[in-house]
Amino acid sequence: MKNAVSGGGLAPDAAMVTFPINMFLPGSDINPLQERRREIYEGLTGWKSQSARAAGPSKMLEVEGATYEQALDKANSLLLARKWGDGLPLLPATKERVDWILKGAALPRTHVLGKFPPLGGVTTVETCAIALAMAGGRPEYLPVLVAAVEACLAAEGFDQLQATSGGPFPAVIVNGPIAKQIRLNSGFGLLGPDPQHPAGASIGRALRLLQQNVGGALPGVGTMAMFGAMRYTNAVFAEAEDELPSGWLPHGTQRHGFDPGTNSVSVVFASGVANVRRRGAKKETPEEDALNGMWRMADFMRAPNLAVLAGWEKGTPGVMMIGPVVAQRMAEVGWTQQSIREFLWENSKIPMDQMRRAGAPAYIEIDSNPKTRASIDLDPWPISIKPDNIVLVVAGGGHPTHSYWLQAHSPTVPGRVIRTPETFERLLDEADRDLGGNV
Amino acid sequence: MVKLEFHDPSGVLEVTQPHAPRLASLEGKRIGFVSNEQWQAYRMLPLLKESLEADFPGVTVLPVDAFPQGNAVIGEEEVARLVKISGVDAVIVGNAA
Repeated sequence: MKNAVSGGGLAPDAAMVTFPINMFLPGSDINPLQERRREIYEGLTGWKSQSARAAGPSKMLEVEGATYEQALDKANSLLLARKWGDGLPLLPATKERVDWILKGAALPRTHVLGKFPPLGGVTTVETCAIALAMAGGRPEYLPVLVAAVEACLAAEGFDQLQATSGGPFPAVIVNGPIAKQIRLNSGFGLLGPDPQHPAGASIGRALRLLQQNVGGALPGVGTMAMFGAMRYTNAVFAEAEDELPSGWLPHGTQRHGFDPGTNSVSVVFASGVANVRRRGAKKETPEEDALNGMWRMADFMRAPNLAVLAGWEKGTPGVMMIGPVVAQRMAEVGWTQQSIREFLWENSKIPMDQMRRAGAPAYIEIDSNPKTRASIDLDPWPISIKPDNIVLVVAGGGHPTHSYWLQAHSPTVPGRVIRTPETFERLLDEADRDLGGNV
Repeated sequence: MVKLEFHDPSGVLEVTQPHAPRLASLEGKRIGFVSNEQWQAYRMLPLLKESLEADFPGVTVLPVDAFPQGNAVIGEEEVARLVKISGVDAVIVGNAA
């Protein structure tokens, strides 16, 4: 709440009276409200902001140690004490390291990308570089991080996504040649960790640090994300564009209209994941194998997950990831991207009697979007307004057994073109020098 | 000694407007509610209305539904406009969770 006040341009505090959560549950004893009512009256009369002014310009911090190791430990302890860490070791964002990261900037370091909600910290290219430096990143990762931040800041309701108890986290899908160039994974283990493809971990971790340190999404304080959803690194991965079946479009083209070959990011806010064992076990024909797998995917999607309401019209109910081998075999027996989406949409519809027994209609009735509210008349109830809302991405290891369903709480799916500096090729050469040949 | 100097990663906050001035007293004032209709607000805010009316004779407390309610709308400019033209001296916003 205080974050939201700050995000609105007010000093970062508010006249609030807080109570334990139990009072806010159905059937609760609300007498404590009566007992503490004078605190509420005080909020309207005598309360004064304790923040005479907001935080000033970004500062430099300093620690000392007898050795570099001691200084490094002190720096990490200081970052945790200030609630700016994530529990894993960080690289202090020294001037030298940040300047190095900024070699990847296509925009001036002081360029303002926006205010990171809900706290409202002003986010510049330099702010991103500081986070990426702390997260162990490299200069060639910065263009993807900046584009991902731009996409997040453009997302509808991003302030609420940051704070809500469901804990949606950014899943950043990267298209274009930059993915391979910076060693972003689209294959085995693409959601990490993978030392052969370290970019996604650093970029996603930097994004998470920005969400927390600049946007205020501190667990239990600025974000009520109950479970946290493995958000150390968010999910940053590439589509396996080189392995798309003939005629299939890259995600950035299908969803955002970017020309094939454009470096781009697309951000879905995911709230959970499910591994779907889609491959048959015995003597299925290719057609049966494909169809059985499609049913298993649809069955996972056909759940009254009310988070999908947020993106029912303009966003997405989730990302279905199918491996390149699977995509190829399905294409060979006649499936297209469109027919896959249509099958999944049609067969993930939920009978309204099942919606009713789960109490789902009440959530539909209070939705802010009139089109979503009107969907209460649909039986069975589709998890999005149209098949195209389902994000279908070809990615994953060269293996036919599984698909992966990232269920979403995503009012929109913002996309952004990635801008690289003129010196980008040199940065890639330096990466080859430092990390060895790009696999 | 080894000195390590590094950037504060928290960015910069800009304060663009002050908090509303507080009232000297609630006596004789006009109070409104902006409710998100969540977290037992339908029980708590009426109780608070009763309390205000009992504790401050002469106070006018608008009905809980005097302004549009619900998480989806209370942050909108239209609600702020309605609050302004209502002539209230103060509003209580609830319930966050």
